[in-house]
Parts: sequence; structure tokens; C-alpha cells
Amino acid sequence: MPSRHSFPAALSICKLQYNSSFSLSIEQLHSQFLQPFSIYTASVSNPGTDMPAFSARRHSPSSDPTSETRVAVTPRKSRLRSDPDAAIASPLRKSPRLCKEGSPNSSPKIEVIRKCLKSSLNLSGSPEKKQLSEDFVERQTWDPREETQLRAVNEALHLSTAPPNVVCRENEKNQILDFCSKCVKEEKAGSLYVCGCPGTGKTLSMEKVKVMLVDWANKEGVQPPDVLSINCTTLANMSEIFSKVSSEIVFSTFTWHEDDVSVILVVADELDYLITKDRSVLHDLFMLTTMPFSRCILLGVANAIDLADMFIPKLQSLNCKPMVITFCAYSKDQIINILQERLKALPYTVFQPQALELCARKVAAASGDMRKALAVCRSAIEMLIGESMLSSVDGTEDQQKPAANNMTSNQVRIHHVAAALSKVYKSPVVDTIISLPQHQQIILCSAVKLFREGKKGTTLGELNKYYVDVCKSTMIPPVGILELSSMCRVLDDQGILKLGQSREDKLRRVTLNVDGADIVFALQGVRFFRNCLK
Amino acid sequence: MGVENPAEVAKFIIRSRIADPLFVYSYFSQLPDSNYSKLKYIISSSVTEACNNSVLLLGPRGCGKTAVLELVLEDLLKEHPDMISVVKLNGLLHSDNNCALKEIARQVCMEHQLQFSKMASFDENSKFLLSILRECGLAHKTIVFVLEEFDLFTEGKQRLLYSLLDAMQSVSSQAVVVGVSCRLDADQLLEKRVRSRFSHRKLLFLSSPGEDFQRLAEHILLLPMDSRLPNDFRASFNEKLLNILAGEEFKGVVDQLCYSDSTVSHLLRFLFCAVCHMDLSSGSLSIQNFKSALPSIQRQPKQEALKDCSVLQLYLLVCMKRLEVKEVELCNFNSIMKEYKSIPDSFQTCDNFARNVCLRAFEHLLQRGLVSFQDNRGQGQSTEFRPVKLLISWHELQQGLQSFPSCPVLLHKLMAREG
Repeated sequence: MPSRHSFPAALSICKLQYNSSFSLSIEQLHSQFLQPFSIYTASVSNPGTDMPAFSARRHSPSSDPTSETRVAVTPRKSRLRSDPDAAIASPLRKSPRLCKEGSPNSSPKIEVIRKCLKSSLNLSGSPEKKQLSEDFVERQTWDPREETQLRAVNEALHLSTAPPNVVCRENEKNQILDFCSKCVKEEKAGSLYVCGCPGTGKTLSMEKVKVMLVDWANKEGVQPPDVLSINCTTLANMSEIFSKVSSEIVFSTFTWHEDDVSVILVVADELDYLITKDRSVLHDLFMLTTMPFSRCILLGVANAIDLADMFIPKLQSLNCKPMVITFCAYSKDQIINILQERLKALPYTVFQPQALELCARKVAAASGDMRKALAVCRSAIEMLIGESMLSSVDGTEDQQKPAANNMTSNQVRIHHVAAALSKVYKSPVVDTIISLPQHQQIILCSAVKLFREGKKGTTLGELNKYYVDVCKSTMIPPVGILELSSMCRVLDDQGILKLGQSREDKLRRVTLNVDGADIVFALQGVRFFRNCLK
Repeated sequence: MGVENPAEVAKFIIRSRIADPLFVYSYFSQLPDSNYSKLKYIISSSVTEACNNSVLLLGPRGCGKTAVLELVLEDLLKEHPDMISVVKLNGLLHSDNNCALKEIARQVCMEHQLQFSKMASFDENSKFLLSILRECGLAHKTIVFVLEEFDLFTEGKQRLLYSLLDAMQSVSSQAVVVGVSCRLDADQLLEKRVRSRFSHRKLLFLSSPGEDFQRLAEHILLLPMDSRLPNDFRASFNEKLLNILAGEEFKGVVDQLCYSDSTVSHLLRFLFCAVCHMDLSSGSLSIQNFKSALPSIQRQPKQEALKDCSVLQLYLLVCMKRLEVKEVELCNFNSIMKEYKSIPDSFQTCDNFARNVCLRAFEHLLQRGLVSFQDNRGQGQSTEFRPVKLLISWHELQQGLQSFPSCPVLLHKLMAREG
């Protein structure tokens, strides 16, 4: 869980500043979130002011054909948008690529500037430079309003599209593949347990390993194993898994010759649904692989790290504990890698690199869950679309902006990603409390005051007394106990308070379900509550 | 047939508008940045782009979540006929996994005119669900799953949610899951696997009365062009109404209304009441109608009960209150009588009734609901010995005494003195 108090506060500051001026907010955001990349701000921020200076710096030792053509290309920018075979991008876009050569966490600014300048000066002939320029040939601007492009982007970022190559999980996949191939070669049985937080690519890697295993078996000339995938949530009752496995075995024994019984690979997803009180099903499942003539490789997937230790102690005594492979939560670099891999196929850049990095940092700090990162990216694209729709409604601004500005303005920028992140991570409690009717706010205020003295719960009667006192201090007539109880029930429905059960209404236990600090923060806009809760 | 009174026609039109939720919430559909447009964008983009989505609608009860969803679905069914099919589940009825799958199968069969078998097992139903999702994905038809009372689906192992959201992760299916809940932390109740698959889109339905309510009232109350209404009547009605709605008094009434409950359904009830109070002879709404509707919405049943009490009953209630203040352990009719008898000792008054008269008055108080027995244990005993408790608060009693037409001054003194 990210720290709730700093992140929303930081974002609200950014939001306020964005309303005042664009450039100011970008710098503030950069200084807060992207310290090592402060060099970017110098080169990539306001295109209007900085670009001429930087391009002048770069073009001074000019005499090279590529830069000249680049300069010549700029007036044709308006044609580039719809022309997929168009040529290169503007010099402005060069800098993020260049600086990426250096490591993000380095060192003094000067060195990085020097490195950028050096590689930019080393224009024709250097191999890395050629590759970069080739990359730039493909990259161009995209129009968020065009439907086919939008659809392609959404599809690239959607959860259901499995990317053709799964990056950042090579180690784990190789480990699993080695284990399986060893078992198949030696015709032995074995069990493997894959664990990791949700959204770390376990099921995706399993799918890839299955394909890789069949390929390997075909290459080696070995009988490829029969694969049985079960998702344990679909089982009506626990022992069904055995009937499924046995039906698979029976099928294979009837189709192949007895000596040719191939190895069976059983992939059991969401293994913790099989946990029962006496742990018999799980235990038996893993024992399948320890039988003397068994040919079954069991790959179990779950979230708990210590499933094998906690729930199958007997296996340890029999010395056949399953091998454990942990899929760690994604780090920031891995998330950036994966997102770029997905977006690589598109001929245009959708995200500004800083925006991608902000998203990756926040998601990595929170949970390392790739699904969230994808959801944030899609949400940010929607913000961009909404903004562009509003600006087109506003009128002719677009045509008057210089062409280079148009291009960066069509990318997803930091403030879009920041808004998307706040939508995902912010809890709606503060907003709801702000818009509650007055008496319900007074009830919450009196509850906070009551619980400040260290108590954890109280009865409705006590709360009523505090409530009446608070009302008396502002000359608002308090409502009766019946209406108070129904208002408390409404708050309980919403999940802000928690009401217990009791025969008598006055004796029902009341506890706060949200943090008192959230309530104080939400109510501080009203002077009365501010004084009351001081 | 005589000419109908245009005021009656107007009243009829307005009342039928208030009772129609689709009309009321169509006001919100005209606002550009409202929840209606956001929800419509989410569902229509998943229909046209063939991608899966999930969204959660949160807000207090009565703020219009289901009504806006119905409006969006109706509009989308008109725009894209035959491309959307809706399955509705409710957490109060279908929170059990087996039950929910059966209901999904039943609704899908009904829509596509397939044969539904009640004997189908859980396994068959879940296979049916997966194959339906696949077929609809191939046919480019989006299934919208509406889960009302979403927080009740999160009890237990959340298998239904997991299987629905997991099926949405595959390319072959095309579905939208819309959860409607009044709990703000509904997504925190999800298990971590299910939460990871849920897309974290939340639409908050926050009510902000005041400026919003004035425009909503205008939308509902202004008379439209109708053949049954003469034009000049309509024009004068609308003009007077606009003046009232913009005035300060109306704002005061609305503020008082929103002190305890500011949801749209509460405001609609208020408007209905006000329109019912409309005076047919004058032919238009007046601010008095709104003011008289307010107490009938914000009823105080205990105050009404107090108004009907006799003076002796008020004495008994005050004696009970004094006993409570003195923190007397056992409060039953005998102790109340003792307190009552002690009053003439400290104050000179001639109001002294016999015991059986007081008992009669006490039984009336029990029947009215101002006083009740503490528990159901002593049912065999007579009314005099069973312990009783007060059902109204000090403040309500004081308010009742003040508004009582002929309350003796002594009672006020007794209330004020705390000893």
C-alpha cells in the first residue's frame, strides 16, 4: 500500500499547480519524482523556449547531411501525421533516446550532458547512432482521435493480448523448462511449485513454457508430454481434480502402447483453492509424483510463498519437497521494459518516456503488479483523448500552435499519467465525506472526537450524547435518536462506520471503519469542523 | 366533456414525470462531464473496440446509480441493436456461486431462445458460460454483466467474481462487468487475485445539492409544450415557478431538507409532496407549497405523539425523566408514582390524581409508544411492577413541552430543575 498521505497530497499540489501554468507543474513533478532525470527537463521541456537553443548547440558543428535533412523535414510535419511511411522526427525528440544510453541512476549532470553531446556530435558513421536514427525513422506522431490508431494502441496495452515474447521472465522460464526437460528425459516424476504475487506473469510464463517444452521435445526426438491444465477454481469439489487427472491418464494409456506411456504434465493454477482443513487433497496431489512408477510432473501455481512448507509437512519428511520458484514482483525497470515491448510494434510513440517512468515507479513501489500498470496506461490514454476532445471543442488553438508542439501534445504526458494514478490509488472516502449531508458529517466529527481518547468502540447512546453536545455548540437543532440511528445505518451501508447488532438500538456498538485522519482531512474545509476537531 | 382544469392537467404531468426515473436522470445525461457520459463511454468503447472492461459504480443509496446504468444501457441498445446482451445479477439473491451460474445460464438461454435445463450441474453451467463468452466474442456481441449489491458477492471465496474476471482476460471473450454498490470500499473487500484482475475504474455518484438541485427542479417542474395545456397558462406557470426557484426562501427550504439526507430520491419525494399540495384554484405552485411539504417529509413521530398527550401523561413523562436524572436503579410504575406524589410536597399544586387514574394514563403511554417495558421477561407480572424505559430523549421532551398548547409552568420548572 503506498503511503496514503504523501501521494495524494503530492498529487493535489501538482493538480493545483497545473491549473496555474503548464511549465511550472512539469518542473515540479520532475523535481519530485524524477530526480536523476533532471537532465531531461533541461532538454525536453518547453519546446518553444529550449528547442532553438539545443538544436543550435547541436547543429553548430553541422556539416552533416542527416541534420540538414532533419531541419528540412520540419515544415512537412503536418503531412507526417497521416503518412505512415514518412521520414524522421524532429531534432527535439532526439534527446530522450540519447540520454537513455546512460544509466538512469548516474552521476553528475555534466557527464551526462557531455555524453549526449558527444554521441550527437558523432553523427555519421557510428553504429549506435545509425540504429538510433533508424529507430527514429519509424517513430512519428499519432493522432489520438483517429480510430484505427487508437484501437491498435488499446489492443497493444490490453490485458488479454498475450505479447509474443514474454520479457523479464527468462530466468524463471528457463528454470522451469530445465526441470521439465530433465524429468521428461529421465522419465521421472517431479513436482514444482511456482509462487508469486498476483500480476507477476506466472500463468503467462506457464503458457510459454508449455509451448517451449513441446518444441524442445520435438527437437530432441523425445515423446512430448501430455499437458493437462486445470484451474482449481472451476472444480466443484476438491476431489474432482483426481478424476480429471485420471481421465487424462486413461486416455493416454489407451492411445499409446504401454511401454510408451508418455510423461504427463499437470499444471494446477490457483492451487490454494484445494486447501482443506485436513490438507488431504493437496497432500495426495503432491504424493502422486512420489509414487514409484509415476510419470507425472506437477506444476502448482499459487500466491502463498510457503504453501509447500505449511501445508504439506509430510512431503518434507519423505524428502520429496517440491522445488520452489518465486516470481518476484516487477521492479520499475522491468515494468518499463515490458510496456515498451508491448508498444514496440506500433509505428508511433504514444507515451512520453517520463510518463512511462512515472507510471512504472509508482506501480513498482505499490505492488509490482503488471495488470495495474497496464490499467494505468490505458486510463492515461483516455485522459489524453478527453483532453484533446475538449480542446477541439474549444476551437482553433491547434492550428496556431507550431507543428512540433502538436506532436508532443499528442503524446501521453506526465500529468495524464499522474491523474490516472490518482484515480487508481486514491480512495473515494475523502470525496464522499466532503459531500455528505451536514448531520452525517456532525456524526462523524463526534465519532472522531470520541475515539480520540483512545477508545475503539462505543454504543449508539454514547455517540448520541456527543452528537447532541456538538450540535448544541453550533445552535443546530439535533435530530432525535431514531433519525440518528437511521443515519448511522446509512453510514454503515457505505462502509464509513460499522454498526453491531443488539436487541436494543441504543446499545449497538459503533466503530469507525475509516481512518480518523481521513475524516479530519476531509472536513477541514469547513471552519466549524476545523475548530471542533482541533 | 367539459374543459379540464389546466391546473389539474399540469399536476398530472408533473407527477408522472417525477415518478419516472428515466426522465429524471435524463437530466444528468445532458451534462458533459457527468457519470452518465463516462459510463456510456466505457461501455460503448468496449462494444466498438471489442475489448473487455470492468467498472464499479459507488454511491449512497438513492443517488441514482442503477437509474443511470439503465439509461446508459437503453441508449446503447438503441444505438447498437443486437450487439449487446445484458445479464443482471443481484448480490442479495445470487451471491452463492452455484445459484449465480444457474441464473446466468437461465438469462442467456432466455435471451437467445435456447432450452434451459434446471438439472444442469455446476460444471455444465460453468462450461456453458465459457462457451457462451467465446461464441459471443466470435459474433462480436458484448455481454454486459450487471452485479448489483456488489459487496455481497465478495463474501466467501469469490469464485464467481474470479471466474468472470478471469474469463475476461482471454482474447476470445467480449464482456463488460459493471458492479453497483453502496459501500465505498467495495474494491478493498476483493481478494487480491480478484482485485488484480479488476480494472480499478470507479465512478463515484456524489450528490451535491444546491445549484444542482435548482436546475434539476427546473428540468422536472417546468411544463412542456402539451396539447392539453393552453399556452398562456403554461407561460405564466413557468414564469412564476422560475421566480420561486431562484428565490432565497426556496434555497432555505432546500438547505433544511438536505441537512440529513441529500440523495436524489429524497429530493424527488419532497418535490412530489410539494406538487400534491398545489392549490388547484390558484393554478400555480407557490413557495407555501414547498414549505408545507417540508414537515411531511421530515416527520417527527414522537413529537406528534406528544402533542396528543394529556397533561397528566406529561407529568408522568417528566417524572420518569427526573428519575433517570437521579439515576434511580429500578424505574417502574410504583417508583414513578412515588415521584409524582412527591411533587405536591415541594410545590403547591392541586393537580393530584388518584392511583388508578394514573395507571390508566400510564397504559395509554405504553400503547402510544412513548414508554416501553425494558424487556420481555416479566410478562406474568402486572404493569405496575415491570421496569420501563423512556423512548424519547430529553431534548425531544423539552421541545414537545414547549409546543404543547396549554402546558403548565410547573412542568417547565420541573424539567429545568435537575434535582
